[in-house]
Amino acid sequence: MMLRRASLRYHLRQPWQAALAVLGVALGVAVVVAVQLANTSAERAFQRSAEALQGEATHRVSAGTAGLDEALYTELRRAGIRPCAPVVAGYVNAPGGDPLRLLGVDPWAELGVRDAVASAALEVDAGRWLSRGGMAVLFKPEAERLGLGAGDLLPVEAGGRRHELEVAAVADPPDELTAEGLRNTVVVDLATAQAVLGRLGRLDRIDLVIPDGEAGAAVLEQVKARLPEGAVLKEAGEGAAALDEMTAAFRLNLTAFSLLALLVGALLIYNAVSFSVVQRRPLLGRLRALGVARGQLFRGIVAEGVLLGTLGTLAGLPLGFALADLLLDLVTRTISDLYFVLSVRSVTPAPGVLAMAAALGVLVSGVASAGPAWEAATVSPRTALERASLEAKARRLAGPLGIAGLALGGLGAALLWGYGGGIVAGFAGIFALLVGAALIVPWAVRQLAVALARPAGALVGTPGRMAARGVASGLSRSGVAAVALVVAVTAVIGVSVMIDSFRTSLTTWLDSTLSADIYVRAPAQTGETPPPLPEGLAAELAAVPGVTGVGTSRRLRAPSEYGEIRLRAFDHGPEGDAGIVYKDRTAQAWADYRAGEAVYITEPFAAHHGLAVGDTVAFRTPEGERRMPVAAVVRDYATSQGAVYVSRTFYAESWGDGVINGVAVYAEPGADLEALIGALRQAAQGQGQALQFRSDAEIRARSLAVFDRTFAVTRVLQLLAAIVAAAGVFGALLALALERTGEVAVLRALGLTPWQVWGLELSRTGLLGLMAGVLAVPPGLLLAAALTGVINERAFGWSLQLSVDPALLAKAVALAAVAALVAGLYPAYRAARVAPAEAMREDG
Amino acid sequence: MSVAEALSGEPEAAGYARAEGPQPFSFPRDHGAHPDYRHEWWYVTGNLEGDDGRHFGFQVTFFRFALAPEPLQRTSAWATRQLWMAHFTVTDTAGETFHHFQRFARGALGLAGAEADPARVWLEDWALSGAPGAGLDRLHAEAEAQGVGIDLELSAAKPIVRQGDRGYSRKGEAPGNASYYYSVPRLTAEGRITLPDGEHAVEGSAWIDREWGTSALGEDQSGWDWFSVQLDDGRELMFYHLRQADGGTDPRSEGAWIDASGEKRRLSSDEVELEVLERWTSPDGEATYPARWRLRYPAEGLELELEPTLADQELRGGFRYWEGAIRGEGTVQGSPVRAVGYAELTGYAE
Repeated sequence: MMLRRASLRYHLRQPWQAALAVLGVALGVAVVVAVQLANTSAERAFQRSAEALQGEATHRVSAGTAGLDEALYTELRRAGIRPCAPVVAGYVNAPGGDPLRLLGVDPWAELGVRDAVASAALEVDAGRWLSRGGMAVLFKPEAERLGLGAGDLLPVEAGGRRHELEVAAVADPPDELTAEGLRNTVVVDLATAQAVLGRLGRLDRIDLVIPDGEAGAAVLEQVKARLPEGAVLKEAGEGAAALDEMTAAFRLNLTAFSLLALLVGALLIYNAVSFSVVQRRPLLGRLRALGVARGQLFRGIVAEGVLLGTLGTLAGLPLGFALADLLLDLVTRTISDLYFVLSVRSVTPAPGVLAMAAALGVLVSGVASAGPAWEAATVSPRTALERASLEAKARRLAGPLGIAGLALGGLGAALLWGYGGGIVAGFAGIFALLVGAALIVPWAVRQLAVALARPAGALVGTPGRMAARGVASGLSRSGVAAVALVVAVTAVIGVSVMIDSFRTSLTTWLDSTLSADIYVRAPAQTGETPPPLPEGLAAELAAVPGVTGVGTSRRLRAPSEYGEIRLRAFDHGPEGDAGIVYKDRTAQAWADYRAGEAVYITEPFAAHHGLAVGDTVAFRTPEGERRMPVAAVVRDYATSQGAVYVSRTFYAESWGDGVINGVAVYAEPGADLEALIGALRQAAQGQGQALQFRSDAEIRARSLAVFDRTFAVTRVLQLLAAIVAAAGVFGALLALALERTGEVAVLRALGLTPWQVWGLELSRTGLLGLMAGVLAVPPGLLLAAALTGVINERAFGWSLQLSVDPALLAKAVALAAVAALVAGLYPAYRAARVAPAEAMREDG
Repeated sequence: MSVAEALSGEPEAAGYARAEGPQPFSFPRDHGAHPDYRHEWWYVTGNLEGDDGRHFGFQVTFFRFALAPEPLQRTSAWATRQLWMAHFTVTDTAGETFHHFQRFARGALGLAGAEADPARVWLEDWALSGAPGAGLDRLHAEAEAQGVGIDLELSAAKPIVRQGDRGYSRKGEAPGNASYYYSVPRLTAEGRITLPDGEHAVEGSAWIDREWGTSALGEDQSGWDWFSVQLDDGRELMFYHLRQADGGTDPRSEGAWIDASGEKRRLSSDEVELEVLERWTSPDGEATYPARWRLRYPAEGLELELEPTLADQELRGGFRYWEGAIRGEGTVQGSPVRAVGYAELTGYAE
């Protein structure tokens, strides 16, 4: 009781510290909550949509981008295999560029597979549905969002062609799953979908409902017996699981960053609690002398920390919710940019996430206050009364802590660069590295400060020396501030250097890959194969004056021994393999590849499937299985899923179609590209398909824009961690200023003007910030190396060239110094205002 | 679109071919589809008996509905103006179970359709198929759904009968409110019936109706009662009553009497007297149907009492109607006679 009252009285007198600790935890918890909510909302939206689209289907037959011959459906039906439903689906753009999923179905086949879709489509008069093109059904939420009602026209654009759909009916979604899962979806007849998406004669998949057990196994055998070459039968959930997995690494990255913010928040709690312990050492000593047990004291102090943490957590939860809205937008956009079209409209409250974050916030606060509490409990009643003992202890501890830090850092490095491990081991290594670095900081600050005292004195006289000495002597408090700052700046350096390295690698790759001058393709959504280009387009473009040659590309997803993989079939233009950046290859790789006797794989593909030059990849082509040797591993940052390059020769042999998705145009040196694009457009007119003509520079700029968008979310998180750290520095400096009121009073009494005190205090904080910045450079670089070399490779399969821009490091160090200076303004102002007599009396 | 709508004579019929007068059939061509008429059906019903005397009824009907009068000018093979529907039922009289199934398929990609020679009509794996050059003389009927199936060989025991006026069957006042209609009034049936409780070897007799037109019912007609009756003395009786909205019977209702040699006599509506003796209400109370009749055909001295082999033979799908096996006992010119047949009762549901 006495303890609690004492505690309350103390915190009421020192509201700043408590408020900062609460703020730190609040921010940390908010970031965790926001990231987790954004992640779960995105994942849930994706799952819901996958579930609603899957319906009752247990299996599906598909054949990659090439699709299935629609005759297969008739064959299955006439063999009595049902329920089975044909699907042609893809994305179209509504006015304003809003992507809508066009779901082409046969309403009667949907019965028993996706009843919600069946009943929606069957709301339309069968005569109109079947005999007229463009009949579409929207579910109510979507219709309302688009502001459309029955009878309205819905113009859409797909693959560069415009089509007019008519809203034939607006259906009430029968349940929540449908409402959520089928948002963004327009249900049309298969015939309409084929025409709009340019998939005449083909089906994207056939969904099957097959019972478990023997009867089902027999049906599966029947289906398998009828599968044409190149078609595969798989369980319905597999595709969704693969897509989910695709973004898992991305989501894990975000989680790791959110935990970093919480870690910094924990340092603030530690700071506040340990400051309160320092402040109350006389009191605590008296309490011990009065017979309060150590355990009691320990529990009391921990309870204080937990209380602060709980308050912070309570404030952090709603804050996290608000922040999640912002993050969700960034996360969704990134997934849509990189992986597939994902539409998430709102944050889904997930009680599990909130409970987890709350528990984490309270737990971390408890753990963070345990150290100071232990210290408070273990000092003997006598030494507690001696003010100098704490500093002595901090000095004593700095060395062992530093050694522990080195050991932990070493463990982190081992996790990162030792034996191969998963991405989770990678992140564990990073955290070990960070905490290790944090533990070394107090010792390093002290050494640096002592070392700096003489040069600083030489430079600016006594105040300089005093500032440096002050940093060293106030280690028990400034140490924590320095740690918080170092951790934050380390993260800033690590992440910035990683992003910069990634960007540099990407730029280098783009520069070598974009060897042609103009690229032509039809518009398409992310993750979707661009629609085929008109036949003969390449030849027409090649004939345009000023064009020296053309290359073509075909992008598709095709079944292989590794499931559905991304395939790129190139007819390389006049420059051969000049546009390919090799990582590893056989001596005659290019010749073999060009002759259709070998394939190239991209780096991520090699990483995901554990393949290297000399291994083979088997494709399930319409001509049967083709097993091909890998002649080269090439760099390619286009997809983290990886892809296989094949030559046009091999593609033509195995897939037997002349489809192309892109044309690369090579121009005469020095040609006016704008004018040439005009001429190419002219030549391509009359095809009735809107095409995109982009110069290499434009593609480069667009790719980098996507890249920057991708890392926007990372930058936001990094910024939040830095804000938490700045709050920590502010708190620590404020504590220090209060602590040193007596000392300042003596200085004032000795004749220092308030301005001189101000200057002294600011130089001290500036110096602290500067040192933290400098100290953050080595761990920051290590972190950057870990992120670029280890995490990226484990998460995405890319190896990136670590490139360090000194200006970037200088900026980070400056950031630390400025943050410390800004945070030190108010504490310095307070110190300068100290009235000497009063302060000395209090001190006495 | 509801099926009832497709069969009614509302104005959307404009542009379709219409049955406007007698015209000679041309076989085998007319066994195939007539895509320019709005509706058409291939209709097989029959009464079968297992080795142990267990009675079964079956129905397999393929309906074709044209949804637009003109062929479509569209690129996708899935676009079509023909929608097919098929009904398949098995009446398990002893087991007191009526199994009924309905399927739809578009008339595209070979999912459903009809061909003239060899005669064949199918919807996915339900099919009625003949042999080259054999018309409807020898047919194989097969259908299966959820463990219920039939697999029957049908052989015509009588020649084709042209119903109405040389196959032109007037249904209403308006000229075109008519259909082309022919039947095979008796086929022997032999094969297997599969039920959830196992397979049964069966034999019996079947009836085939072929009909196509553009609008069948007039505005004032509410439905029809149709009967096919096969007497055990080798003769058949078909007749239908078109019921008027006011409860009366349309005078255009008619029928046919077919003697043992296959000669048909056309019957006008007043030549067959039908008295309802009992009624039956479907379990959900949505419709009440006649369920036992006394039938008199004085010209031939025929008096029969007809009753369903099972009360509940109602198809409760999108298009609700009662279609089931019936049996009868009575006298013809004083001698005892037995009969089996099928009845179709439409327009009773709200």
